[in-house]
This record gives sequence, structure tokens and C-alpha cells, in this order.
Amino acid sequence: MSDNDDRKEVPRRDFLNVAIGGSAAALAVAGGYPVVRYLEPPPSQSKGAVRVGELDKFPVGSVRTVLVNERPVLIVRSAQEVRAFSAVCSHLQCVVAYSPERKQIECPCHGGVYSIDGRNLAGPPPRPLEELAVTIDEGVLLVSPTG
Amino acid sequence: MSVPRWLADRIGWTGVEASLTGRVVSRHGFVFYLGGITLFLLLVQVASGILLTLYYQPDAALAHASVERIVGEVSYGDLVHGVHVWAADLFVASLLLHLFTVVVRGSFRSPQELSWVSGIFLLVLGIVQAFTGAVLPWSERAYTQARIGSEFARFVPFIGGWLHRFMRGGEDVTANTLAHAFGFHVAVLPAAATMVVAAHLFLLTRRPPRKAETLSGPTIPLYPDFFVRLSIAMTGVTVVVLSLAIFVERPIGPPADPRLPSLGALPPWYFLPVHTIVRAAPKELLGFDGPSFLVGAASVIGVVMLALPFIDRRGSRLTAWLAWVALLALIFLSIRAIT
Repeated sequence: MSDNDDRKEVPRRDFLNVAIGGSAAALAVAGGYPVVRYLEPPPSQSKGAVRVGELDKFPVGSVRTVLVNERPVLIVRSAQEVRAFSAVCSHLQCVVAYSPERKQIECPCHGGVYSIDGRNLAGPPPRPLEELAVTIDEGVLLVSPTG
Repeated sequence: MSVPRWLADRIGWTGVEASLTGRVVSRHGFVFYLGGITLFLLLVQVASGILLTLYYQPDAALAHASVERIVGEVSYGDLVHGVHVWAADLFVASLLLHLFTVVVRGSFRSPQELSWVSGIFLLVLGIVQAFTGAVLPWSERAYTQARIGSEFARFVPFIGGWLHRFMRGGEDVTANTLAHAFGFHVAVLPAAATMVVAAHLFLLTRRPPRKAETLSGPTIPLYPDFFVRLSIAMTGVTVVVLSLAIFVERPIGPPADPRLPSLGALPPWYFLPVHTIVRAAPKELLGFDGPSFLVGAASVIGVVMLALPFIDRRGSRLTAWLAWVALLALIFLSIRAIT
């Protein structure tokens, strides 16, 4: 091994420090990666339209709140059409409600006001209420949870 | 063999003893009293919290009824629940007062930077602990708080999107959000707080003992004089907590129903200034939307707080003066929220 004689000697302690440190780092990455991935919640399963009830349950001129995959949704039925809006305020996500007296949708938390077609009229909300797609299948109302 | 002698052979008890008896504290050391009272209230929270977990059910369908059962049916359940809820409020209050006195007296200055930094982490842990605890009854009010509180996470710079989904356990506030709040309240945060409290106390014993002549005003020995006074203060706090728990009811409120409009109810008292600002803030500030600006500003204040002993190395008058201004501003904003 005469050709290796001029190589630099690594002290035993330094070598062990690097070996122990490297093993600890490798273990931390191997254990940490699945943990970090575990912390990210999976996307919600159902993407399809959800049945919210028979159309007769939503009389013309009524505004009702129903649940679609645990999320509150406003069903607004006028003489011409049925529309669905997420009942979640675009400001800080409180649940909004229709006020029959004032004919508008109101957020009780910070005073946001929306029109009956979801437009933000007053208060802090920066955007209209999110509108959800509605389909009617043999007299049954279906709402898509996403847009 | 005497007990101290026996311990001396095993854990070096004489060193522990010397580190206690050799010290003096300022007789008017509110920092120490408030620190001790905060620690005492933390222990009350641990004890009453463990008792509550024996009957509490962390399931969105069962949680509210289980809390009602604790208060209504379990023997002394109303007392345990009342102590936990009231001591939580007093804990946050004494944490904030402790912080305030430390800033005003300049107690963060060298060589106590690490005590300060660990204290700021404890403040954050304490407030998150109070907040996650308020979610657990899964009442209408708890549900609203969970919605608003987690929504703020979205506006945290860089990690907001991830944090928002993580806090909710998904896109929206659901049964998963309650499970997350429970896991954090009873496992993650207490474990973290135990370690940081241990560091906070360890740092107290490691710093060089202060000589009487370096302290302004009259001094008393840390042991036994200060400990006796602190015990009297703890007895007083116990009387206050028990009286509040027995005589002032903290109603749980109706169970959460996502179909109902959110309660316009106010947040916990320590978030009242935030409530006033959120209600009054314009939609856009300096090109950012309102909540982004507020969370960004809060992040900057947080970083400055953390770095305070490195920015103001001597504990200047200006810092003390700013603390008073901040206190008065927060009181003013809180009063605005309830009037």
C-alpha cells in the first residue's frame, strides 16, 4: 500500500463524529419525511354532486341553509331559477345567513353584507360568496361541492 | 444518615441547596411573583385538564354532550370544569402581566436573553393552548372561533396555505378540526410547554447569582423568605380560582350547528383588540388585503419581540415607555370591542 502513504490521516474521533452525526441525520430524515407527509390532510373524497333534497322542499322565494359534505350552503330559489352559494363569508369564513326582513345575506361576525345573488355589498368581505353548480335530476336538487 | 446527606451522595443536593439559599431577589420583584403564579396556574391546568379527559369525548357528535355531562352529572364536575375554564383565563392574564413587568423592568437584558426567548415561546404556546381548549366543547361559539381562528392561518407568510389545511385537518372546519384541536391541546402543546418551561426554569438557576448590591431597593433571600411570600400569593390565587369556579358560571352554550349563522359573539377577552381591528380595518392596506396586512404586521411584531434583548441590549426607558403605550392601546381596543 505504498501508493496510499501520502494520504491525509483522519483522526479517529473526527471520523466517529461524522459517522454518528451522519447516521443521526439519515435517521431523522427517514423518520421525519413520513411524519411531515402524514401531517398534510388528504383531499376530501367526494367530488361529485351531493343530493340536498327534493325541489319541493325549497319553495319559490325561499332561502335555506343545507349541509353539503359538512359545509353550509345557501339554496336561493327565485321564480326563475335555483342557485346555490357557499354560506361561508369571504372575509374570515363565518357562516352567513339570509335576513328576510332586510332581504339580504348577512355575516354576524364582522358585519359583512351580501345581496341575494351573493355580491358583497358592504362591510369587510373582499369577494362575493362562492357560487356552486346546481343540477336538478327528476325533481331532486343536487349541488356540486366545488364551483 | 440524614435525608440531605443521603441526597447529597446521590444527586449533589448541596449544590441544589446552595443555588437556592445563596440568592436574593428584590423585595418588590413582581417579575418573580408573576412568574411563580403563572407556573402555579399551569399546574392547576394540568391537574384539572387530566381530570376532564376522563369524561370528555373528542368526537364532533359527542363532545358537546360529554362536556354537558361533566358539568351536569359527574360529581364535582362543575367545579373541575369551572376551575379549568377560569384558571385558563387567569393563566393567560398572568402570562401577559409577567411579560409586561419583564419589559417595563428591562429584565430581558443580558445575560437573560435565553430566558426571554423561551418566555416568548411560552406565551405563544399558552395562547394557542387557550384557543384550542376553547374549541373542545364544540359549541356554536367554539365552532365559530375555530372557523375564524384557523382562517387567520391562511394569511401567514410563506406557509399559510399548508398551516391553514393543517389546522383544520382538511379544507373546511369539520370533525377533523376538533380531533386536531384535541390532539394539540392534550398532547402536542403540553409536551412542548413542559420542555420550554423546564428550560425557562433551568436558565434561572444557571445564570450567575445576583449580589444584593447590584439590585436596587430592598432585597430578601430567595429561600425561605421569597418562597414563603410566593406560597401566600398562591393561596390567594387558589381562593380566587375556586371562588370564580363556584360562584360564576361559565355556560357552555348550544352545540355547534354549521347550518346556523355564526354567533356574532365576541372572541375570548385576550383577542378583543384583534376583533376591534378586524372589524374596523379597511379591505386594503398598503396594497395588501386587510387580513394579510394584519397577520403580516403581527408576524413582524412577533419577530421584533423575540429579538428584543438583541435590539435593546440595556433595557432602555424607550422600551418601557412603548410597553405602557401598547398596554393602554390594547385596553382601549378591548373596550371598543365591547361597547
